Amino acid sequence: MAKTVTQEFTKGLWEEIAPFRLVLGLCPVLGVTTTMENGIGMGLATTFVLVCSNILVSILRKFIPAKVRIACFIVIIATFVTVVELLMQAFAYPLFLKLGVFIPLIVVNCLVLGRAEAFAFKNKLIPSVADGLGMGVGFTLSLGALGAVREILGTGMFLGMSVFGASYEPFAFMVQAPGAFVCLGLMLCGMNIIGSK
Amino acid sequence: MTASNFRLPKKIFQMQVAMLRVCYALIPIVVASVYLFGWRSFFLVITSLIFGILTEAVFNFKNNKSVTSAIFVTSIIFSLSLPPNLPFWMAIVGIIFGVAFGKMLFGGFGKNIFNPAMVGRCFIYVSFPIEMASAWSSPARGVFGGFNHWSFSVDAISMATPLSALRNGDAIFLEDLFWGNISGSIGETSAFLILLGGIYLIYKKAASWRLAGSCLLGGVFLSIILHVASPLKIASPIYMLLSGSFLFGTIFIVTEPISGPKSKPGQWIYGFMVGGLTITLRVFSNFPEGIMFSILIMNAFVPLLDKTMGQIKAMKKGKS
Repeated sequence: MAKTVTQEFTKGLWEEIAPFRLVLGLCPVLGVTTTMENGIGMGLATTFVLVCSNILVSILRKFIPAKVRIACFIVIIATFVTVVELLMQAFAYPLFLKLGVFIPLIVVNCLVLGRAEAFAFKNKLIPSVADGLGMGVGFTLSLGALGAVREILGTGMFLGMSVFGASYEPFAFMVQAPGAFVCLGLMLCGMNIIGSK
Repeated sequence: MTASNFRLPKKIFQMQVAMLRVCYALIPIVVASVYLFGWRSFFLVITSLIFGILTEAVFNFKNNKSVTSAIFVTSIIFSLSLPPNLPFWMAIVGIIFGVAFGKMLFGGFGKNIFNPAMVGRCFIYVSFPIEMASAWSSPARGVFGGFNHWSFSVDAISMATPLSALRNGDAIFLEDLFWGNISGSIGETSAFLILLGGIYLIYKKAASWRLAGSCLLGGVFLSIILHVASPLKIASPIYMLLSGSFLFGTIFIVTEPISGPKSKPGQWIYGFMVGGLTITLRVFSNFPEGIMFSILIMNAFVPLLDKTMGQIKAMKKGKS
């Protein structure tokens, strides 16, 4: 367990990148990645909640009785989700409308709860911050990548700009739910091929 | 895998008699499609065949396995279910997706849950709804028909297929439906040739009469009920059965042995549900044709059906 802070951070970027390696937090991964903008917005919101809840859980880990820890985690996470929700309503209203129900659903994102339970509850403050940040950035990158692929193939646009020109016939399939599953599966496959070498 | 240990399998094609018979039954329909819609439709079939075989070869040669004859059936059925003026690249995308995701990823021949041809068609149907619903052309007439034409232009008036015409309440001639002088997907129009192929398949036992029969039964049952319930809105059963791809699906797709159930009662339930669902989807959903979706939906239930039937059988044995 003698990992440095940097290692705690970087493991979330490749070795244990949440949606692909741990296959955690798939609900927003499949639900909101119709465009890259949505994906990154969702990723950043989750990162914020992850880091903050990791900090608080790590600080309070000596005071929280083990028997009621899950309930305590949920209360902590829900607090920060409410914060994120209100912040987004105030400063990023269009994005808030697009992400919709998926923001309150961060509360039940098993990635956030998982890091609180598996890491922050057992570790000191600084490693917990690094862990939360790494996981969050990894999550954001995955959502962004998936969102980019789906946006480019599904609408022919990238961040609102046309990529292939007007003659491109968009794959409407890709922006729908089955497209998300297929795309995620292919990315998983690609990561496993690279990882196994 | 390195290039040095890559070897072509001894036999490039593995011949399967039942599958080849389905191909023979499909040949008249392909010929008729050239008469009705021009040579373009023939090349659509060839293109799908080439890319279907290539896709399977990519997966199978790696494991030193041959290409199965089932791919011929899949590719031909897939291409016959397309509208005649569909862009070629869309057909290519569809067949590659269908074979790769519908078949090879499940483990190849004999292991696929969903009918690969329908997976491919569904993929392009969902991806390119406009092209899939508007690339129709009216059929050719005269002695040579489409044999001296490449394709027939999409014209706005005859764009509607009999199914959409039925929805709009237009009249169609029954004999046109029977012989196939109607617009529609490449291979679905001629009820006569489909029935001919069906008789051949059932006679040669390449297709299960239970599956085809129960599907027909389900379609007739549901369309009679719905027709009696509202005779003005919903066409009579005979139109329902002859129009669209109901017959084509019944004979060639529902009877596909791999994605269909194995137990006899399972086959009855499966076929009946496919037939009934098709009519229900036609009448109540936003899509004019329902057989593709009903086959895919029922494919998902096949493992459950087979398992339940096996358990019921075991229970009965235990009692007696």
